[in-house]
Amino acid sequence: MGGALAAKRGDHGRRRRGARGVVAARRSAVVLGAAVLALAASAHAQVRGTIVGPGSTSYPIAVSPLKSGGDAHDGDRFADVVARDLDLFGLFKVIDPAAYIEDAEHSGATTDSINFDNWKTIGALALVKGTLEHEGDGVVVEARLFDVVERKQLAGKRYRIGDGDLRRIAHRFADEIMLALTGARGPFDSRIAFASRRDGRFKEIWAMSLDGGDLRQVTRERMIALSPSWSPDSRALLFTSYRTGNPSLFEIDLGGGAPRLISAQRGLNLGGRFSPGGRAIAVALESGGQTDVALLDPSGQLIRWVTRDRALDVSPSWSPDGRSLVFCSDRGGGPQIYVVSADGGEPRRVSYQGNYNTSPAWSPTGDRIAYASRLGRRFQVFVVDAKGDDAKQITNTAGDNEDPSWSPDGRYLAFSSTRDGSGAIYVSDVSGTHQKRLTPQGGDDSNPSWSRWLE
Amino acid sequence: MTRSIRLAAVFMMVAALAAGGCAKNKQHPLDESAGNGGAGESGLAEGSSLDRFKRGLGPEEGGVLKDVHFAYDSYQLDATARDVLAANAEWLKDNSRARTEIEGHCDERGTVEYNLALGARRAKAVKDYLVTLGISGERLSTISYGEELPLCREQSESCYARNRRVHFVPPQ
Repeated sequence: MGGALAAKRGDHGRRRRGARGVVAARRSAVVLGAAVLALAASAHAQVRGTIVGPGSTSYPIAVSPLKSGGDAHDGDRFADVVARDLDLFGLFKVIDPAAYIEDAEHSGATTDSINFDNWKTIGALALVKGTLEHEGDGVVVEARLFDVVERKQLAGKRYRIGDGDLRRIAHRFADEIMLALTGARGPFDSRIAFASRRDGRFKEIWAMSLDGGDLRQVTRERMIALSPSWSPDSRALLFTSYRTGNPSLFEIDLGGGAPRLISAQRGLNLGGRFSPGGRAIAVALESGGQTDVALLDPSGQLIRWVTRDRALDVSPSWSPDGRSLVFCSDRGGGPQIYVVSADGGEPRRVSYQGNYNTSPAWSPTGDRIAYASRLGRRFQVFVVDAKGDDAKQITNTAGDNEDPSWSPDGRYLAFSSTRDGSGAIYVSDVSGTHQKRLTPQGGDDSNPSWSRWLE
Repeated sequence: MTRSIRLAAVFMMVAALAAGGCAKNKQHPLDESAGNGGAGESGLAEGSSLDRFKRGLGPEEGGVLKDVHFAYDSYQLDATARDVLAANAEWLKDNSRARTEIEGHCDERGTVEYNLALGARRAKAVKDYLVTLGISGERLSTISYGEELPLCREQSESCYARNRRVHFVPPQ
């Protein structure tokens, strides 16, 4: 076992990683402006000036099946999930496995046992190899990332897992690959919840992995359920349901169990969002036609009103430090985006382009706010910095693009779009260069909410 | 009184036609559990758009109390809307024991959450106007369905206009 393999599960801390000095990634990772991501992990790449971003080519990487000694199915499955993740945002070009010269079962997975020429020949700059071994009740996966030209290991992880967790491990290692090659952990070990009518006329909450796998129905309200959002530990969802006739706020554990009622004030109890520390829920409450933003404690008791006026105030989203909220309000006439202290006070407008801007989402890095803006007859996703400057259009398609939600690393957005017909969930890098549909057509999918990293 | 009886009869015919139409076109297959909703759904107003949805029926348009329509992203009552509400107020005066739920609806453009709040405002604007016409607010409740229960799903201005409405749950 290589000394660089981190045996501890869940060790994703950048500081610890940097201190260990495994990879020179942080030193060499370059960010060109806000939208361009540089991939310059290896010395070789740096010398060659290989920079991947909008308008440039993707970074060629080979993802070999794990050497699994007869359990080829799982070895292939791991590689498939990693490859699909890496392919998602256009940063990488995963080389077709049909071109691989070196057979996983008859070659090594360490620096001294890999024939790097076999990978250099097919154009790979980086290579993923590893092993899968049954050990007692569990499975041990060792996965490694190599610089093909420098012939050295860039990252390695050892995972001990139960049978069902292979996909999880693959997503986590894809995050490690992103860390090693881009300087920041990838967003793949996370889930996206959304509202959907895919299973009939009722609107229910569903959740899935980023590759569209592990899709499952979370609620069985047999009514209208909407606006899901994750708890900070990614184990529960808040949502609004009409199950009793009134649109009330509920929480449901993904591990099972009945939804728990949080707020059932007569009128709308809408868009509940946990504060980053989980101690408060921001929500839009409506009574007598007036909708305001309030803070509730996790049991649903009112902590305080954040806004209390005649304006229509909806869709609160927390700043990552938990001190401020961004929300949509028509206080200036049409719907616009405003920032307000979580303690209340005078809101400050941050959207100035367009006359209909809604559904803001504060990025987990704190510096940007995404929202949907009506442009002509259609809605498009925009990103603006938290001060309200430098608004950038992310989508530019037919149909409506709405309800943006940030990835845990703040580099990507999920949103709903009707560009291909009925509503589906899409993801994009924050430049808008690479946009991909995650869910099939026909489900009338909406309201995506991206979790934090899973624990 | 004769006028209201005639209106009621017309309403029942329209309702029967609407129900039959929906069942026939199979857009909303009948829910197997319909009819045994039980205690959990006690808050569902009978005949409301949500109650009909639960039972596998589409929302109704009009009725003994006529729908009111709105401009895009607006809850203002125009002259036509005020005329409709004046007639609805007359019926409510003639049927002084009737209560009704006022449903606010929106077209599909705009986000789900904003439209729910907008629908609430539309319902409230209608309620307030009926109160100024002398109807007790006690008889009028409001609810918003935003863009969740549209009458039609075409992406056309005429369909959007139909969906931007306040609907009255058949008075009990």
